[in-house]
Amino acid sequence: MKTIKLIVVGFGTIGKGVAEVLLMKRKYVEEKYGASLLVVAVCEYNGTLVNPEGLDIDSALEYAQKGKLKDHPDWKPIKSLDAIKEIDADIVLELTPGDIKTGEPGLSHITTALESGKNVVTSNKSPLAIKFHELTGLAKRKGLVLGYEATVGGAIPIINLYRDNLEINKVNSIYGILNGTSNFILTKMFEEDVALDTALKEAQELGIAERDPTYDINGVDTAVKLVILANSIMDKRISYKDICVTGIKEVTSDSLELAKKHGYAIKLIGDVVNMEVSPRLIPLNHPLNVSGTLNAIMLDTDIAGTLTLVGHGAGKIQTASSVFSDIMDIVRSKK
Amino acid sequence: MKIDMILRVRDVPGMLINALGPVSGHGGNIISVTHSRAEKDIVSVHVSFKVNDESSLELIKNALEAQKIRVAEIKVEGRKYYLKKALSFVLIGHVIDSDIQDTIDRINKVGLVSGLEVVMPSPDVKSSVLMEAEIDEKHYTKLIKVVSDICSEKDFLLIRSL
Repeated sequence: MKTIKLIVVGFGTIGKGVAEVLLMKRKYVEEKYGASLLVVAVCEYNGTLVNPEGLDIDSALEYAQKGKLKDHPDWKPIKSLDAIKEIDADIVLELTPGDIKTGEPGLSHITTALESGKNVVTSNKSPLAIKFHELTGLAKRKGLVLGYEATVGGAIPIINLYRDNLEINKVNSIYGILNGTSNFILTKMFEEDVALDTALKEAQELGIAERDPTYDINGVDTAVKLVILANSIMDKRISYKDICVTGIKEVTSDSLELAKKHGYAIKLIGDVVNMEVSPRLIPLNHPLNVSGTLNAIMLDTDIAGTLTLVGHGAGKIQTASSVFSDIMDIVRSKK
Repeated sequence: MKIDMILRVRDVPGMLINALGPVSGHGGNIISVTHSRAEKDIVSVHVSFKVNDESSLELIKNALEAQKIRVAEIKVEGRKYYLKKALSFVLIGHVIDSDIQDTIDRINKVGLVSGLEVVMPSPDVKSSVLMEAEIDEKHYTKLIKVVSDICSEKDFLLIRSL
């Protein structure tokens, strides 16, 4: 049996979700691919769990759940960058939240992992939105994989779908609902005729919106994902600053009522061709008119025609599905 | 219905006959033809004719364009005719107080505002306005630009259709 060693960087919501799915699917991977997925390190901002023979995931989750990862017997005061550099592994899973202005700490994590000869799978969109071509170029030069399926659309497998199945197509346009929080708010305003603040408060109470929802509401989160789609699928060379961004903050419940009366919904749409994120009117029967926290991505291509993918844009297990889409690519290719 | 069409054709022998062919060929009953040579090498031809319906007019227009004859203007029963590409959009802001007549007039220079619905909760609260405009499809991008410029200038949020 071949062994695939993993370093998990970031053991927050996504990191724990990936660990849970690993526990659920480990046996499947062993039986189908003869590959054992071994987590040799879990890095947090203040130290690292290390075990070259493979960490006990259940126990790591248990300690993390109590917020006492530091008390775990495998805990060492090793910084994440040192762990990435020095610990022997095949794949670094970079699952930290990113700072959109600097891309850190993910940018350094990804660069260090690739420089030290390790494949990278990430759910962190900020480093890719800032340095997409630099990072993909570095991976290519090193002959390594940089998987970033989980950065856009949660569980929707848009990046790998295009790479594996649609490459022959020229993509003319991409429109997407790429932020679950703003879609939940607009849906709530549309269906229940409530003001944005009320809908946002409910989203926060349900744990859909973060305590600081600024990036969701002002369109930044959508713009960051749009950059990744534009660069990876439409072969553009753009970064976040090239996108014209208008959020949903000024959208009134009156405007939604008017839209409904005339057969439209209002959705926050990322538009790759016009490099724009803005609230748009879409007909009620349009494939992009998805409700709640759902995401949807619509591609117009020259051969396949129009394709629309709909799925959960967030959630730890759903995002882990996309992380595993990239991990399995590496598992399949490893002799 | 009575159609007035202004065509712009190159000033070479046979072009006028070519231009009139599609009109009669698709059921147009020609009432009058006048032409002027005000510009060098270009003849402006005003054709008045009658057709039974809009689809006949479309056939004539498409046939002319296929022959590279520029259709500069079409009037149906004296009113400007559009290809009826419709654009719906919502404006949020102090739309009424920011000279709504000016907003409509500027849009009408490119297209035609054909519908308008306003929700204005109170004078000090931003109003929401849904507008529908009809536009010759060739001028669609221009209309988007005009509306976007108005919104930047008057501080409106523009929500346009996809």
